[in-house]
This record gives sequence, structure tokens and C-alpha cells, in this order.
Amino acid sequence: MDWTTSQGKSMTASSPSAHLHLQSERNESVPVPPPIRVAIVGAGRGGTALLDVLHQIGTIEILGITDKEPSAPGLQRAQEINVTVYERVGDLIKRPGLNLVMDVTGDPSMGPVLQEQLPAETDIISGQASRLLWTLVQHESTLQTELLHAEKLAGIGSFAAGIAHDMNNPLQLILGLAENLTDEVDLDAVHAQARDIIDAVKRTTAICRDLTSYSRRTSLRQDCLVNVNGKLDEALKIARYAVALQDIDIRKLYQPDVVVKGNPDELLHVFVNLITNAVQAMEHRGTLTLETSAVAGTTHVRVSDTGCGMTTEVQSRIFEPFFTTKPPGKGTGLGLYNVKNVVHRMNGSIGVDSHIGRGSTFTLTFRDEPGTGERTTPS
Amino acid sequence: MSEFKSGFFVGGESTNGRVLIVDDEPDIRKVVRMTLQKAGYDVLEAENGEKAIEVINSGENRLLLDVIICDIRMPKVNGIEAIAYFRQNYPRVPLIVLTGFPDTDMATSLLRQGVVDYLVKPVEGEKLKASVARAMEQRELAHL
Repeated sequence: MDWTTSQGKSMTASSPSAHLHLQSERNESVPVPPPIRVAIVGAGRGGTALLDVLHQIGTIEILGITDKEPSAPGLQRAQEINVTVYERVGDLIKRPGLNLVMDVTGDPSMGPVLQEQLPAETDIISGQASRLLWTLVQHESTLQTELLHAEKLAGIGSFAAGIAHDMNNPLQLILGLAENLTDEVDLDAVHAQARDIIDAVKRTTAICRDLTSYSRRTSLRQDCLVNVNGKLDEALKIARYAVALQDIDIRKLYQPDVVVKGNPDELLHVFVNLITNAVQAMEHRGTLTLETSAVAGTTHVRVSDTGCGMTTEVQSRIFEPFFTTKPPGKGTGLGLYNVKNVVHRMNGSIGVDSHIGRGSTFTLTFRDEPGTGERTTPS
Repeated sequence: MSEFKSGFFVGGESTNGRVLIVDDEPDIRKVVRMTLQKAGYDVLEAENGEKAIEVINSGENRLLLDVIICDIRMPKVNGIEAIAYFRQNYPRVPLIVLTGFPDTDMATSLLRQGVVDYLVKPVEGEKLKASVARAMEQRELAHL
């Protein structure tokens, strides 16, 4: 397997993130600083956490990671996100252009060794500085997870109308039939109505099951192969609590058996967000197209609407935290920000193509990762 | 229903009145029909606002429809749009809203538009019948 750093970097550099692209257009006068080229020494919990955060940042290039223990979790993670794994520290720190070495081995003898071998212009973070950095990184990682959960819970507030609709309709049936049964004399009718009541109860419990499953806290490190088409269908079921889909023409252009590696709960949240936004943009009438394809090792997922579309200015800001076009109290402004973070964590990219009055298309791009496990979610 | 003094003669049967239930859920239409038929009403059904408008504009319904019970969240022509149509074109037919979602603002707005009752599912049969009976009284007053 050719795990070269250039390969890994090209993923980030070619990322068609509208946010980054358009932001750089907006700030044309600001020169883009060269990337900081980093090596991570130590692939235990600290190295893994650093890797996870640093590889999401476009201005940081991770030249590689190493650990004396071949089964260190960070090495496995590095392979998943296309960061080069080195067997020996010496080989990693010889990489040309290296600006910074992060020593997270916890080994006090490593610092002096690095200082001795590295040129003076290469900075080293080790010892307490490295512990501090690890703590900050863990904090950042926890915050991102909390933010995702908070935004998800805030979104569930908008499900009230949909939940009420789906709960109260079967309840009306149950009540009406039960009232009728109090003086129903036809035994066949009694049996049929009892069966209808049982079915109605089952429908209401399905709603609770969907929602408790959706609102649960995302488990960390639960990456597996996710069936994308199944997840999109599941997201449609959840999204219909938030937005009325009755008048939406839904087109599914699914290539069979499309999978991506990622956290199934997070991916579901991403799809629910994109579908909800799409339907809201159409003011509940129009065509929603869900498209999946996997060609030559690249998987695309597209969510398109025929709604109001966005101006270039809005498009350039939609992935920013707390940016919203919704009226106060209607949107957290964190939806697409979290979507972008999840997609980046999956080593994917997200782009948007939008035209005023014609609609928007969000495209998620994931490159197939070799060496992925066999685990697949049931959905 | 002893409170009904007048009865209409529809399809060869004497009924307490003709009620249209507009709801996208067949189950809801079924139980409302069951409850109201037992109380002596002639019940018509429509699965959305568009169909409801068709029903009210067809044949004798223009004249003989007494009460409309209407859901809000429905495909095609939703409850709000259908109610606006009924209020404009059939202002004398009393409207009862039967919705799954209790929304105070919407209830206030609809009652201001002349909707006679705003019921939230699940509603007991007795309450539904009482609401229809009140609407019938209003209908009769409108005929005076």
C-alpha cells in the first residue's frame, strides 16, 4: 500500500470545500501562509488525538507519524486517513521541509535525542508543552462532539410538530376504536378493531425507537463501513419529523451497495441536516434528489433541491459556526458547521453548487480507503 | 342526539346532518366516521384540501353540507389553505379543526378566521360529537 504523504495531502488540498475556496477569494489581499509541516512522534492516545485534530486543519501538513509499538492506535488511525507511518523516528525526522516535531511519547529521553538529530530551524514540542497541547486537543475534540450533540438536540425541538402528528394520529385511532369497542356487539368487528389497535400501538413505539436512536450521544471511535443508501433512507424517516415531506417529490438515484467508512450516527446526522435544509429551501414543495455513486475509488453523495438557492455571499459563509439565514430561534447556525466537521473527520470533503431560484446541490466526496474493516452497519 | 331539532333527508335516510371529514390519514377518517355515524350523521370523506374542495363543490353538497372537520398538516392543499377557501366560498358552513399538533398561535388565528372549534387529537368521541352539535346549531342559526 502506498501511503505517501503527498497522497494524503492531495486529499486536503484538492478538497472542494466551498467554504475554504470562497473564503480565500474573499480575502484575496491576505497572503496564504505556507503550511506548517509536522511530524508526530508517539502514536498512543496523545498522538492519535493530535492526529485527529491536526489533519482537519488545512494549513497543517502531517508529514508522518511513528511509534516503536507497531500496534499503536495512532498508526492504525494514520493509515485510515492517509498519513504516512514510519517505523523509525530517524526516517520521519529526515523528511525535507519539516517545521515542527511533536513528541508525545511521554519518554523523557526522546527530547534530547530529537534535539541532537534535528536541525536548529526545526521546532520541537515535548515534555510538559506536549502534555499541555494534548490536553487542549482532547478538549477541542470533546467540544466538537458536545457541539454536535447539542446541535442535534436543538434540532429535535423542531421535530415537535412531526412527532405530535405521528403520535396523535394513531392515538386518535386507538381512542376511537376503544370507545367503539365498549358497546360493539359484532364479534368479528371486535377482533378486527383490536388488531387495528395493536398495529397503531406498534406504530407509536416505532416513532419512539427512531427518535431515541437518533438523539443518543454519538459513540466515539465507532467507525465502520456504512451503507450510504440505507443511511439516506433512515435520514428521510427522521427528517420528516422536522419538515413536511408530503408535497416533496423524492428522487433516489442510488448506485447499489455504496459504502463509506465513518461513524454511522454522525453520518445519519449529516444526512438529516442536508435533507432538512433542502426541504426548507423549497418551502415544502419541489424535488429532492438523493444520489449516490462510487466510481474509481471515489464515492459521491449528492443532496439536491429545487428551492430558493443561495447568493455567493451566503454560500461562502454557510459552513461558518453560528451563521444562519433562518429567523432568530429557528436555527442554531451550527448545522452545516457540524456537517463539515463530520465529513472532514471522515477524510471527505463537502462542496455546494447553488443558483438563486433554481436550487442547491451539496456534494460529499469520500475517497475509498484501502484496508478498511469488514464491519458494516445493518442499515 | 336529542339536541338536534332539525333533520335532513339524505339518500333516503333521515340524518342529523352531513359532515365532511378532511384528513390524510385513512385511520382518522375511519374513526371519525364511526363515531359520527353512530350519532346519526351522514359522513363524507376527503384525503386532502384539494379533494375536500372537490367534494364540497359537487352536486348537492354545495347546499347540504353542514359541518367540515379539517386537519391542518396534509399534502397538496393543506388545512390552512383549504380553510381559507371554505371561509371565502362557503362562509356559512361551520369549520372544526382536528389536528395532531396543539399550536396556540395557529388556534387563535384560525378561531379569529371563524373556525368554530380547534380540537387536538386524540379527541374523545363525546367531545367530538358535542363540537359537531354546536357547529350544527351555528349552521342552523346561519340559515335563519
